[in-house]
Amino acid sequence: MFKSRICVLAMIVVLFAGLVPTWAQTVASKSDEGKLIATLTSPDASRKDKADACRQLSIIGTKAAIAPLASLLGDPEMSHMARYALEPIPDPAVDRAFRDALGKLSGRPLVGVIASLGVRRDAEAIEPLTKMLMDGQAGPLAMAAAVRTLGLIGTVGAAQVLTVSLDHAPPEGMLDVYEGLFRCAERLAAEGNGEEAAAIYARLRQVKEPHQVRAGALRGAILMRRGRERATLIREHLGSDDYVLFAAACQTALDLPAPGITRVLIESLPQLPADNQILVIQTLGKRGDVASLPALFDAARTGPTEVRLAAIKAMPEIGEASVVPVLAGLMADADGRIAQTAKESLASLQGPAVDQVVMTMFESPEMDKRQVALDLMGRRRMTQAVSVLLQAAGGAEGRLRPAIIRMIGELGGPDRLPALLALLDGLESPQDLDAARQAMSVVCAKADDSQAASDMLVDRLGQSKPPQKIVLVRVLSGVGGPTALAAVRRAVDDPDGDVRAAAIRALGTWKTTDAAPELLALAQSADNATEKMLALRSYVGFAARRDLPVEVRLAMCRQAAGLIERNDEKTLLLGTLGGIDSVEALGLIEPYLADSATKQEAVVAALGVADRLLSHRDAGQYAAKLIAPLEKVAQAAPNDNLAERARTLLAQARTKAGQ
Amino acid sequence: MSQRKSSLSRRAFLGRTAALAAVPYIVPASVFGRNGAVPPSERIILGGIGLGGRGTGVMNWMLPEKDVQFVAICDPQRQRRQRIKEIVDSRYGNKDCVMYHDIREFLATRTDIDAVLIATGDRWHALASIYAMRAGKDVYSEKPSAMTIQEGQAVVDTARRYGRVYQSGIQRLSEGNFTFANELLRLGYLGEIHTVRAHIAPWDAAEMRHDWLPEQPLPPKDEVDWDAWLGPCPWRPYNVAYTQGQWRNHYDFHTSCIGEWGAHTFAQCQVALDLWKTSPVEYGYVANDSGDGMVMRFANGIKMVLERDMDQKIWHGSCGVRYEGTKGWVAIADGYPRCEVSNPAWHSDFQKLVEDYVARTQRPMSHVRDLFNCIKSRRQTVANPVMMHRSMSTVHAANISMWLKRDLRYDPVKEEFVNDDEANRFRSRAMREPWTI
Repeated sequence: MFKSRICVLAMIVVLFAGLVPTWAQTVASKSDEGKLIATLTSPDASRKDKADACRQLSIIGTKAAIAPLASLLGDPEMSHMARYALEPIPDPAVDRAFRDALGKLSGRPLVGVIASLGVRRDAEAIEPLTKMLMDGQAGPLAMAAAVRTLGLIGTVGAAQVLTVSLDHAPPEGMLDVYEGLFRCAERLAAEGNGEEAAAIYARLRQVKEPHQVRAGALRGAILMRRGRERATLIREHLGSDDYVLFAAACQTALDLPAPGITRVLIESLPQLPADNQILVIQTLGKRGDVASLPALFDAARTGPTEVRLAAIKAMPEIGEASVVPVLAGLMADADGRIAQTAKESLASLQGPAVDQVVMTMFESPEMDKRQVALDLMGRRRMTQAVSVLLQAAGGAEGRLRPAIIRMIGELGGPDRLPALLALLDGLESPQDLDAARQAMSVVCAKADDSQAASDMLVDRLGQSKPPQKIVLVRVLSGVGGPTALAAVRRAVDDPDGDVRAAAIRALGTWKTTDAAPELLALAQSADNATEKMLALRSYVGFAARRDLPVEVRLAMCRQAAGLIERNDEKTLLLGTLGGIDSVEALGLIEPYLADSATKQEAVVAALGVADRLLSHRDAGQYAAKLIAPLEKVAQAAPNDNLAERARTLLAQARTKAGQ
Repeated sequence: MSQRKSSLSRRAFLGRTAALAAVPYIVPASVFGRNGAVPPSERIILGGIGLGGRGTGVMNWMLPEKDVQFVAICDPQRQRRQRIKEIVDSRYGNKDCVMYHDIREFLATRTDIDAVLIATGDRWHALASIYAMRAGKDVYSEKPSAMTIQEGQAVVDTARRYGRVYQSGIQRLSEGNFTFANELLRLGYLGEIHTVRAHIAPWDAAEMRHDWLPEQPLPPKDEVDWDAWLGPCPWRPYNVAYTQGQWRNHYDFHTSCIGEWGAHTFAQCQVALDLWKTSPVEYGYVANDSGDGMVMRFANGIKMVLERDMDQKIWHGSCGVRYEGTKGWVAIADGYPRCEVSNPAWHSDFQKLVEDYVARTQRPMSHVRDLFNCIKSRRQTVANPVMMHRSMSTVHAANISMWLKRDLRYDPVKEEFVNDDEANRFRSRAMREPWTI
C-alpha cells in the first residue's frame, strides 16, 4: 500500500517539478530595495505587486523603506502588508511611524497598528494608548488590541493603566484586560519586578469568572511566592471546594520540585473526596518524590477502587525498591483489577530488586504465585532466570512444567539447546514434549549458526527413544539444511511407525524444496500405504507453495497425478491446481472433469484459474487458449450456477481473444 | 448564526454515576461549577474548529472514547460544518451538534466546552489554539503548531498562562513501533547516538508559491467566510481551490515540504534524543530545492539530517525516522509491521519496552487518550506546546536557511539566529487585523 502511495507522491513530484523555478523567490536581493520602494508608490503597480514588495521589504527593508511603507498604513487594502514589512525592521523610526499613525487611523488599520506596537514592545506607546482607552471612542476591537498591547509592553506604567481598566472595561472586553495583565505580570516578573507582578496576580485572584483567569492567577501567585508562603497557598487551595482552583494548585505543584510541596500534597490526601485524591496521587506520581511512597502505599491498600488504582499506577513513575513488596502483596488482592494493575506496575519496574522478588515468588509452593512469577519473568525479559527454570523443569514440576519449558525457549538463547536436549530425555507427557519442541524451535531460530544447532539435534536423534525422536525431527524441519534433511530422511526408515510418520510430516513442512524429491520417492516406493499417502499429500502440499515458480509447481502436480489413486487425494491435487495461474493447469484439471466423483472440484478449480487469468492485465495473451477448456468446463458443470459462471467466463475469453 | 447549546453536556460515568442518578439528564456543566477542570469521573465536553478530512479522522478517533461528548462545530465553510454535524448527530442519534461560523462567538458563548479539536489548516492552528486557550479550553491541534517561531512562543505562553492542556497531532509519539524505536535509543541499545535522520515530504519544495490563484466571485459569507478563512494571513482574492486543500505549498499558508513531514519527524527525533526543550544550533544549507541532506547539529554534537529519500533507500513508508549509534541503528516509518533494526534480537524486547514505557510514563498508546487523561490529570501531554514549539522552530529554521541560501546558527536560549538580521526577521509575520493576538 505504501509503495503505491510513494509512487503517487513521486508522480506529484514530477508534475510539480517544472513549476518550482517559475515561482518567485522568498528573499530579494538587497540591491532591489529601491525598485521595491518604487513599486509601493507606483500608480501602475497592482495590489499584488505592492503586497509582494512589502513581503520582500520585510526581510531586506532599511530605513529608506520606512516612510513609504508608513504612508500605506491608512490604506485599507495595503495597511496590513505595510505592517508586515515594517514590524521586523529594527529601526526606532518604525515605532515612531506606528505611533504617529495611531491618531490618524480608525477601524481595522488602527487595530493592526496597535498590535504592531505590541509586537515591538514600544514603551512610548503607553501614553497614546492610555489616552485612547480613556477617550473610549476607538471601538471595541481597537480597545481590546490596546490592552493586549499594553500587556506586551509590560512596564509598571502599563500595568497601572491595565489595573484601572479592570474597573472600567465593558464585560465583553474583560478577557483582553485579563490577558494584558497576565502579560504584564509575566514580563515584570521576568525583569525582576516581583512585587509588581505579585500585586497583579493578587488583583486577578479576586476575579471569580472565567475559570481560566482564577486558575491562571492562582498559578502566578503561587510561583511568585517562596518557601513556606508558597506551600501555604498550595495547601489552602488543595482544600478548596472550587475544583478549578484545586486542580490549578495540583498542576502548579508539578512545576515545583521542593520536598515541602510533596509534604503538602500528602497531608491533603485524607481530607479529599475521591476525585481530588486521584488528582493528588497522579501529581505525586509525576513528581517522582520517594517521600510520597508511604502515602501511596496507604492509598493503594484501602479506599475506593479508582483511588487505589491511581496509587498503584503512580508507583512505577517513582520506581523505587520499596514499592516491590507492596505491589507483590497487592497482586493477591481479591479485586481482580487491583491485582492485575499491581502486576503490570511490578512488571515495569526496573532493577535487580524487583527481579529478586520475582525469583522468590517463583519458589513459592503455591501454584498461582509460581504462575504469576513465570509471567513476570517473561514480561520482564529475565534471561537470568533460565537456569532456575531449567532446574524447575527437570524437577518435580507438574501442571506448570509445559509453561516453564516454553519460557526457557522464550528467554533462552541458542546456548540453551544442550540443556533443553538433556531435559527432553526425561520428558514423557505429550504436553511436556510439545513444549520442549516449541522451546527448542525458538532457541534454534535465534541461532546465528544453524549448522551447529542441526548437528546437536542430529546427534541426539540417533540416541533417543521414539517420543523424543518425534520431537527432534519436527525441530529439524524448522532448522533445515542438508545435515538435518539427511537425518530426517533416515528417520523415515525408523523401526517405529510413529517416528516414520513424524519424519514424513517433517519433510512436508521443510523450509526449502530439497525435501520434495524425498517425498516423491517415498510416495513412489513406500510399502506402507499410510506412509505412501502421507508422503504424496506432503508432496502435493509443496506444489501449493506460491513462492515456487509456476513451472516447478506444475511439474510437481504432473508427478503427483501419476501416483494418485484415492478421491480425497485427487481433491487435494485439484485444490492445488486451482491455485496455479496457468493455462497448463487447466490441462491437468481437464481429465477430472469426466469423473463424477471429482467433477465438481475440477470445475471449481478450473473456473478459479480462468477467472484470475482473465482478470490479469495480460489477459489477451491467454484468452484464446482458455476458450476450449472453458467450453469443456461449461459442459461438465454439475449445476446451473457453475455452468452459468463458466459461460460468462467463456464469453469474456472470446471477447478478449477478439472472437 | 449561533444556535442553542447542546442539551447534553457533562454527566458522570464512573463512581459518581450513582450519586448523580437523581440529577436530570440535561445538565449543563455550570451546575457542577467545574468547567475548565474535569474531574476523573466526569465527561469531557468537546467542540471542533475547522474539521476537514484529517480533522474528521481525528474526531472519529475521539468519538468512541466513553468519557467524551462532542457537542459543537465551528467552521467558516457551511458545507464542512454541516458535514461534521451530520456525522456527530448520526453517532449520537440526535440533532444536538450545534454549528458556528465565527470562532469568536463560538468561544465566547460555549463556556460549557472543555476542549476543542483544531484542524483548520496550518495558517490558523496557532491562532485558534491561542484563542481557545485564552477562552479556557484545552486543545488538540493538528500539526504544524505554528507558522512562525513567534507564533509557537505565543502558544507556549498562553498554555502556561492559563494552565491549559494542549496536545499537537504528532500521533506517532503514541504508537508502539515509534515508541519502541525511541526506547531502544533511550535505553542505550544503539550505543552513543551520533546521527538521526528525519524524513521530509518527497513532494513540493522549500521555496513555496507566492502567486495568487485567479480571482473568483466571492460566495455569500454564510457559505464561505473568506475573511475568516484567511485569518491572520495576507489578503488575497478568493478562489475555491484554496478551501479545497490547495492552500498547500503557498508561502502564506504552508510550512513547505520540510514542515509537511518534518513537523512529525523532527518532533520524533527531538523527543527520542530528549532534546525537545531546545533546538539545533547549526543549519547547513544545501543547494537543492527541498533541503534534502541538510545537516542540523545540536549543541551536544548530535546531527539531525533531513532526508527526502526519493529512492526509498532508508524507508519504505511515510514520516520515517532513523537513529544511528555506535552499537547499531533503528529505522521506522508508517506501515511497518515492526521496526527495522541492526540487531534482530532486539525485537524480542518489543513488548517489554513498550509496556514499560506505558507504565513508567502513564502514557497510553493512543494519542487522543493521552490528551483526555491529561485533561483530567492536568499534566503535560506527550506532544505538549514546548515540544511542538521547539521542533517547529527547527522546521522554521531549516526553511529559513533554504530561503536565505546560507548556513545559519541559532541560539536556543535567546531563540534567535546569531548575527543574522535577515534570518531573525523571519521569526514572525505581522498578523492581519483583526486576527491578531
